[in-house]
Amino acid sequence: MNQLDIELNRIKTKLMEMWDLVEYQLQAGREAMLTANKELAEQVVKRDRKVNQFDIKIDRMCENFLALYTPVAVDLRLVLAILKINSNLERIGDTVEGVAHFVAKLDAPFNLDLLEQTKVVHMYDEAEKMFANCRVAFINNDTDLAKQVIKHDKTLNKIYRKSDKIMTQYMTAKPDMIAEALAILSIIKKIERVGDQVTNIAEEIIFYRDAKVVKHKSDKKKKKKEQ
Amino acid sequence: MSKKHNKLEAKNLNAYYGDFHALKNINIAMDEKNVTAFIGPSGCGKSTFLRTLNRMNDYIEGFRVEGDILLDGRDIYAKDVRVDELRKEVGMVFQKPNPFPKSIFENVVYGLKIQGIKKKSILEEAAEQSLRQAALWEEVKDKLDKSALALSGGQQQRLCIARALAISPSVLLMDEPASALDPISTAKIEELIYELKNDYTIVIVTHNMQQAGRVSDYTAFFYMGELVEYNKTKSMFTSPKNERTQNYITGRFG
Amino acid sequence: MTNSELNRLKDKAFQVFGIFCTFIGLVVLAIFLIDIVVEGAKRLDWDFLTSLPSRRASKAGIMTAWVGTLWILVLTTLIALPLGVAAGVYLEEYGKKGRWANFLEINIANLAGVPSIIYGLLGLEIFVRQMRLGSSLLAGALTLSLLILPIIIVTTREAIKAVPRSIRDGSYALGASKWQTVWNQVLPASFGSILTGIILALSRAVGETAPLIVIGALAYVPFTPSSPLDEFTVLPIQIFNWTSRPQEAFLTNAAAAIIVLLLLTFLLNGIAVYLRNRQQRKVKW
Repeated sequence: MNQLDIELNRIKTKLMEMWDLVEYQLQAGREAMLTANKELAEQVVKRDRKVNQFDIKIDRMCENFLALYTPVAVDLRLVLAILKINSNLERIGDTVEGVAHFVAKLDAPFNLDLLEQTKVVHMYDEAEKMFANCRVAFINNDTDLAKQVIKHDKTLNKIYRKSDKIMTQYMTAKPDMIAEALAILSIIKKIERVGDQVTNIAEEIIFYRDAKVVKHKSDKKKKKKEQ
Repeated sequence: MSKKHNKLEAKNLNAYYGDFHALKNINIAMDEKNVTAFIGPSGCGKSTFLRTLNRMNDYIEGFRVEGDILLDGRDIYAKDVRVDELRKEVGMVFQKPNPFPKSIFENVVYGLKIQGIKKKSILEEAAEQSLRQAALWEEVKDKLDKSALALSGGQQQRLCIARALAISPSVLLMDEPASALDPISTAKIEELIYELKNDYTIVIVTHNMQQAGRVSDYTAFFYMGELVEYNKTKSMFTSPKNERTQNYITGRFG
Repeated sequence: MTNSELNRLKDKAFQVFGIFCTFIGLVVLAIFLIDIVVEGAKRLDWDFLTSLPSRRASKAGIMTAWVGTLWILVLTTLIALPLGVAAGVYLEEYGKKGRWANFLEINIANLAGVPSIIYGLLGLEIFVRQMRLGSSLLAGALTLSLLILPIIIVTTREAIKAVPRSIRDGSYALGASKWQTVWNQVLPASFGSILTGIILALSRAVGETAPLIVIGALAYVPFTPSSPLDEFTVLPIQIFNWTSRPQEAFLTNAAAAIIVLLLLTFLLNGIAVYLRNRQQRKVKW
């Protein structure tokens, strides 16, 4: 294997380590949310610093790689993709940290009925599934799977769009639970954001493998329809 | 990683060709088993400096050196140092492949033969070992008695590397070793440099910035006979400290 | 007529003129050769080559002359080759460049241009008289060696200079000394060219008459020389001698001897050309 591949593999390995850490954070966040485990939530918050260190490290590695190896074609796209995947992973980490902050402030576990109605747990599971699939797509260079991940994001968006209504009803019915409901609403928003970020990552995978830009496609379609 | 010691060191080194002051007060220390790249525009003194490291400039009339060059702490310009002994320790590969107009085998064992080693078995073993090290053995093992001039340019250069390795030096000087080769051969030479780095201290002069980036651990930038900047290649290529270095490596020179 | 047509015509005219000039030399040479061959071929047989000289033209042969020529050839080679090559190597590889070197260089070039009769006089004084070698083969060979030494030195230097620096660098970088580099790399690489030069110089020496006459080589030697200190004759002297005889038959003898001499020089030149071609084919730096 030539030196360029060796270096690329080192960066990839680092990225996968970060990916695993973020996945673990996601799972820990879910656990903390369901059990209102403050201690776990605080650990998640603390561990986010580690995610940030990964972010800086991978940025630095990419910078060095670009400076020293001047990659072209697929190698160049891979490095560019890794740079963006890296920052998306870091943001997913931040989002999970945000969820953990909410959990840390909880006095009691969330109302199960509310969780059920808003489908927040289901949403969380879906997001995790997307995240895991995206990881597989990256490792196997599987653009079809990446495209599925992008489609999957619609499920999350649907749940998110319905959540407003459910929450309004809930809050009118139980005004004493408004604080808790707002917390859940924020969490839903954050999970929706995770979905978007995973979508971005999937788009980068397609860009790196097929040299095709798939992001912002829907914007263009809409414009055409309008015309 | 254990701490590497200074293999080669120049202290207040000045060199002159007649009245021309070619190297101005060079101070540099190169670690063992590392690749150090010398970069800089033509005529900046990098090749001159490389050639002072195995005293190849001795034969040039009017050339003289002041200051010290230490190999493992010993001054190589001291009176009691024999040039041929020094060159057994410090091998050199040139810009243009320069195999001798002899067979491949004779090329590889030349250095040993002039040391007086005649035993066929020793020579054969050394030839195979150094050709393997130079990643050339598989390509030439069936035609060792064929003329070296029949090899391709890239193969010739690897033969020259094998020839240099055969006398088991600890330092390998390379003067633009890939500048006369096509990209594939260049890549092979670079691969070889990574491999050799495990056993040898390598100093390479190159005009190709990317090559310096790819192969070297440390980079030294020379300009007008001065050592402008010497640092880890990573640092040099991402955030050079000196503005002249920055201008040179970004191609904005002059 | 347009300008370009005029130019083309001029071009054509010059071509024709050039061909004409080339042919003048060739035609004259051809006429001479044909004349000689027609004259001498009938006289050229085994007896002619193996007979000793005689006062009677029909009995006279060139045995002593060509054996003498071979002796001279071998002795001159043995003397001039090591001296010339060594001097060339010294001047090119070891000698310090400076005023002294320039002085030597100019003088060697001048020596190559000195008329051969002067060498003959030098040989007569030094070898024949001072060293008391008499009019022997050795004295003749030494004299001819002096004559061709400058040529050999100059060719050797040119041949050595043509060996690229990179080969020397390669050798030095592997720890070779100067002598090892010269002996193992420079001389083998340039030997073809050196040999070519030497053979061309020898073919000149073979045809030399004047210096040998001056040192007293005899025209009539009734025995073949068996040691370097014997008296001798060579082909050119024999030819010179025969052509100055009044009898017609001796002129025929001379023509036959000329054929032998020409064949010998052509052979030497042929070897030189062959070596040069082989050298050029083998070495591409």
